Amino acid sequence: MEGFLLGVSNGVICVAYCTPVLVPCLLAGGGGLSRSTAVTLRFLGGRLLGYLLFGVVAWAIGRPLLQAAGYRELITGSVYMVLSVMLVLFGFFNDSHSCSAPAVTSLVLKPLGRIRLSALVPEAAGLATGLNLCPPFLLALAASVEKGSLSSSLFFFLMFFIGTALFFIPAPFLGLLKTVPAFRTVGKLAAGLIGLYYFYSGLIMFVGGIKSV
Amino acid sequence: MKRDAKDASTVSSRQSPLRALLIALPMMFLTLLMLTAGKRPPDPPHVAALAITFVFFNLFFFLMVRTGKTDRYRAPLFITYAVAFVISFISRIIEIRGSMALTETNILQAQAPFCHIAIPMVLIPAALTKTIIYPGTIIGSFASISSMLILWIGASLSLGRGFCGWACFFGGLEDGFSRILKRPVIKRIGATWTYLPYAVLLLIVLTSAAAFSPTYCEWLCPFKTVTEYVQVTSLKTLIQAIIFLSLFLGLVVVLPILTKRRTQCGLFCPFGAFQSFTNKANVFDIRIDRDKCVKCGRCVRTCPTFSMNDASIAEGVSRITCMKCGKCVDTCPKGAISYHVKGTPHPGRSDRYRLLFLYPAFLFLATMAGGSIRDAILRIIKLVTTGSMV
Amino acid sequence: MKRLRAMLGYAWAFLAVVIVLATFMGNRYFSHKFVSATKITVSPRVTGGDVAKVSEHGNYKTMIHRPVFDGLIGERSTGFIQIDWEPVDGLPPVLEERVEPGGKREMAFTVRLDTRSGAATAKDHVGSGLPVDQVYKLRTGWAVRVLLQKGKAP
Repeated sequence: MEGFLLGVSNGVICVAYCTPVLVPCLLAGGGGLSRSTAVTLRFLGGRLLGYLLFGVVAWAIGRPLLQAAGYRELITGSVYMVLSVMLVLFGFFNDSHSCSAPAVTSLVLKPLGRIRLSALVPEAAGLATGLNLCPPFLLALAASVEKGSLSSSLFFFLMFFIGTALFFIPAPFLGLLKTVPAFRTVGKLAAGLIGLYYFYSGLIMFVGGIKSV
Repeated sequence: MKRDAKDASTVSSRQSPLRALLIALPMMFLTLLMLTAGKRPPDPPHVAALAITFVFFNLFFFLMVRTGKTDRYRAPLFITYAVAFVISFISRIIEIRGSMALTETNILQAQAPFCHIAIPMVLIPAALTKTIIYPGTIIGSFASISSMLILWIGASLSLGRGFCGWACFFGGLEDGFSRILKRPVIKRIGATWTYLPYAVLLLIVLTSAAAFSPTYCEWLCPFKTVTEYVQVTSLKTLIQAIIFLSLFLGLVVVLPILTKRRTQCGLFCPFGAFQSFTNKANVFDIRIDRDKCVKCGRCVRTCPTFSMNDASIAEGVSRITCMKCGKCVDTCPKGAISYHVKGTPHPGRSDRYRLLFLYPAFLFLATMAGGSIRDAILRIIKLVTTGSMV
Repeated sequence: MKRLRAMLGYAWAFLAVVIVLATFMGNRYFSHKFVSATKITVSPRVTGGDVAKVSEHGNYKTMIHRPVFDGLIGERSTGFIQIDWEPVDGLPPVLEERVEPGGKREMAFTVRLDTRSGAATAKDHVGSGLPVDQVYKLRTGWAVRVLLQKGKAP
């Protein structure tokens, strides 16, 4: 319940942090309300995955490493830079309305089989924003590392996710705008611009992390 | 034969000198009223500056009416306005703050003049928190927030996106650079890029609301280069300065020269994109008479903001990015493109529609630009006589 | 109907000139009306927020602003508190002030500013440092912003 209340009380801030990434994703894809809902759910799924990953990390590695100077910045900075390269390629260098992830990661992931990475932008964006160390998330992290077991740590993050997810309910309706082709183009370009911003943020964090370690 | 005669009369909407003078007379009165604000100039330099400005504007308005050419006479005024604005603005900023540099202390003391480009960013936070996320003064000072908001509302109602072609104090810089070469070096720009201003608008509105600060002004404004640069005190401010300078050189200088277009306005400016929407609350637009159009493509090639394409010609109306500068109207060899008043018949009295647009547009330009040009003239006189502009 | 639309179009076009005149001639009037009607102000994230407490020290005074956590909707978890010293002529080389953000004793810290070097530090009652966001040299004196976390004692 503590995690849920924390999520509800900080959901607005989560929306503020995630909207610049989610809205371009919503506008750039095709389809109607059902598809927008699907994109939002997949985005939230990515966030949930990010939260649960941190739940595991918080339990397994424990507070000392995550709070150790530098490591947090290194991890987050790297994630930001990977996401940003995907977004920039998706926004500026891809004529189709699909994701550019294959171009970036095909070398790494080819051996894993024919996974259609072109559809993974919402999850990737959600995962990266899920790993975003925004103020409410740091609060949740600080609270969860105090939990003794893996299950309670995961449960805490799950409840935190549910609390914040309530604020994303109106998001699919924004996606209806994408039925106008111009909005899809604008959405893609905006995703590319957001990518540039995240790349800068990631780079600054990464450099800061290296300096601190 | 009859049709050709009609075409010729529309292509050349020249007026006789007497008629042009009669049409220009009310403008002379109005510009005198606006330039003086009902007060006599205090000394000879002020009288000279006022006289030069008054004659400059009214001569060009007379020629506009007399020749039927809009952009030909708008452009010199608009370019002079931008140059004068930069001279006047920098001098004032140095007078107020002692330096062109914008420091953290200036920001804390809310000493940054408010600019219209910041308007889209401040609206959502203003609506939700009743506060303006901009380090300017609300009322009473040079370029205060409330004063600029009133100007924007007035401009949107009277000109719509015409603001960008007639009143924006930055637009004249790239308008000037875009006229340097006779022919463009870069002739084609992908249609996708014309949507970039909307993406920039979306980005800055969302990030400004999320970060609670004007992100465009902090990171993306090309015009910081010629107004108030951010004092470089850290890696962050160095990166900001590099971005400002690169955007200015790229979008305001180099690309306009190479493309002969206003690339900052057409490919980047979020305020222009925003004005495209507020333009809906405006009565003037640009229409294409499809019966007269011979699809020569001249308007498509010359439009500074990429507002003409095959689709818009087929629809008979310019795209929403049109800033009503009149370049296409001047260029069209068949007189197929004209100003239009919404609700009135088309094709109809295009001369009348044009004059109805010219009056508010020119008056706005003369009033906005008049202050800057007069001030720039005074500062140049001061420079010559005292060796200093401030 | 067509006639009516045309008449409305012409009326609006004529009105455009009146709007331009009103925009410039009535700018000051409309600006004041706009501000008084909307009660709009500059964000406390820019100005530092209202002054909550003034401490007199003879030749100079310290002004402690309210803690600023203002966000788009509600409050943020991180914010700052601004402390001003003025007038500039009456200030000693080193300034020190105990600050209780929002009047909460458990949040108290001491801020110290060396006006010769422009360096500032903030320490809580056990001597742990608090992050100083910015130090500003103003025409009237000095100002310091110390970062705060909502509901968290330093």
